[in-house]
This record gives sequence, structure tokens and C-alpha cells, in this order.
Amino acid sequence: MFPVRCFTCGAPIGHLWEEYIKRVRAGEDPGKVLDDLGVKRYCCRRMFLSHADIVYEILNFPKVS
Amino acid sequence: MEINVLEKDRLRIRLHIKDIPLHILNSIRRAAIAEVPTMAVDSVVITSNTSVLYDEYLAHRLAMVPLTSEEALEKYNPPEVCREAGERGLFTEDCFVKLELEGVGEPGKITTLYSGDLKTSDPDVRPVYDRIPIAVLTGTVTHIPGRGEVVNRQEIRLEAYARLGRGKEHAKWSPVSVAAHKYIADIFIDQGKCVGEECRACVEACPKGVLAFEDGRVRVVEDKIFDCSLCRECELACPVNAIRVRWRDNEYILTIESTGVLSPKRILIEASKIIDKKLEVFLEELRRLGVVE
Ligand SMILES: [Zn+2]
Repeated sequence: MFPVRCFTCGAPIGHLWEEYIKRVRAGEDPGKVLDDLGVKRYCCRRMFLSHADIVYEILNFPKVS
Repeated sequence: MEINVLEKDRLRIRLHIKDIPLHILNSIRRAAIAEVPTMAVDSVVITSNTSVLYDEYLAHRLAMVPLTSEEALEKYNPPEVCREAGERGLFTEDCFVKLELEGVGEPGKITTLYSGDLKTSDPDVRPVYDRIPIAVLTGTVTHIPGRGEVVNRQEIRLEAYARLGRGKEHAKWSPVSVAAHKYIADIFIDQGKCVGEECRACVEACPKGVLAFEDGRVRVVEDKIFDCSLCRECELACPVNAIRVRWRDNEYILTIESTGVLSPKRILIEASKIIDKKLEVFLEELRRLGVVE
């Protein structure tokens, strides 16, 4: 799942993920969307750009503990 | 001392401060990062978790959720008292706020639990943002011979306990995502040595656009001096060594960016109070030893 906070600076970013991915999937430029959302620093921006949301694939497998 | 507010909104404050020694400003900065108390989840009691996410993963995500702390600072016991209570498993009301989270998934559907789904026992302590995804749930249908279809719904049921803490104990309690101070440049240009407008090496070298030619002379663009990062690219670029970057003494820009748990103003006030208290304790000890009256 997308991290709640930026790993480097600790700024909360989790609440922005759904809007970000929705707009990027709709064809908008990721950089512009991040500018719009007020994500300024490159530590926070790479959190969005480099994230692969694999939880939706893991969701259908049984948990091993 | 002279302070100019350069920028101020809900999350950020930028101050231009004159006549302040660096060590005083740095104490405030460090107190803002590591000493100002805020609320964050510290213990999680999980009654049920059949989701694909491990208990520890859920607890970690819950701890990262920023919780409003403006009123909590007066209402709840200080971090040192509550830490001990928490370690002994005593989730008392004068220390802890209970946040409950419940959710059940359905086969063929994806249910997301958000920070906004947390039911808090104190409305003053609630998630700053409601749309932080905490967990996702679904369900499966299995065909078992002789028993037909067995529906399995992923479920999460938990109680999270938040208390006051300090950034030095864990970064989740730090109220700031940025607390920084910066020098202000003082750029000296030897107009006698400068070759003039046909050179422009320093103007082109500056990544911040601080320098420009005006009436045939190199000048620092009005107000742009705050943007200078003291990289000294202009010094390197100048072929005749006519430019020198120094910095102003006892003059800084302090930037505070809050995570939303406290207002930037409150962070500064609390940080100053904490330093004050530490010095008071220090003086008290000196008085006790008879070093000072
Ligand atoms: Zn960041």
C-alpha cells in the first residue's frame, strides 16, 4: 500500500495518493498533478512516482503466518 | 531583534530574523523537531485480523497517521508519565485516546478502510486527514465438495491507543516535516574589476537568478537575495575574481512546516516554552548547589 508519510521528511502524503493515481491514469502529467497537490520536495515526489500498488494483487492470496 | 514574516499559512511559516545568535535559533529548531509533544498511536489491540496485511503492518500505518493535538496538550498527561502507563498496559483516560477501526470485506469487492473510519473517544484528537488508506479488504468464495460454497470475508477489528509523545522518542510524534534555518547571503561585487555586460558569466552561472545586469552593472536583484543558497557558482564562474559571496551575521531565515497536528505558530510557542523550562531547571539546580543566589 502507498506509504502514509514520506520516508525522508515525514510529511503526510497518504491522503493524496488516490487523487494522484486517478488523475495520472486519466492521462494527466504526473509532475503537474504533484504540483497541483502541493507536493514540492523531491523526496515526497519520488514516493508517488516510484510506487507500485501491488496490494490489490496480494489481496487474493491466503496469508501465511 | 527584528522579525519579518515572509510566509504564513495553515502548514508553513517562514520568518526572517535579525539579531539572533545561531545557537538560540538552533535550540528552537531542534526543540520543534524533537521536544514539542503531539498525539500519535502507540499501542494497538487487535481483536481480529483476517486481512492479507500483518498486524505489525497495520499498527505501523496507524502510528503514522497524524492526529490533531492542539487541545490534547492541555488535556492529557505529559509523555513521560504516559509512556510508563503504556508500558504497563494501563490505557487510562488521562493519558490515552481510544481509536476504533472495524471493517469487513465482501467477495468480488474491494473495501478500503480510511483514517476517517477511525472512531475516536475524544473528538479533539482525530486524524488530520480523513482520506489516508489504512487497509484494504476483500472476500473469497471457495467450492468445497459436499459443502457447497463457503464464503470467507476478510475482517479487521482493532482498538488503537494514542498518547502524547516527543519526536526524540519516535519520529511519529514530531510535529514538523521541515524545521530549518538558512543563512542570508551578502554578495560583494568589485565593480572596478568586473569586465562588464559582455561577460555575464556570473549571471548565467547563478541557478537561483539572484544576479542581473542593470544599467551596465552587475546587481543583486531586489528581494532575490533570500533565494541565494550560497553555492558560490558565481565566484567560480567569474574570470576576474570580482565577486565574493559572504553571509550576514546573526541573520537567518527560519522555516517551519507542520504535519498538521499543531499550527506552525503553536509549534514555535511550545518550542520556546520548552527551552525556557529547561533553562529554569538548570538555574534551579545551580541555586540548590549554591553556585548562584
Ligand atoms: Zn518528503
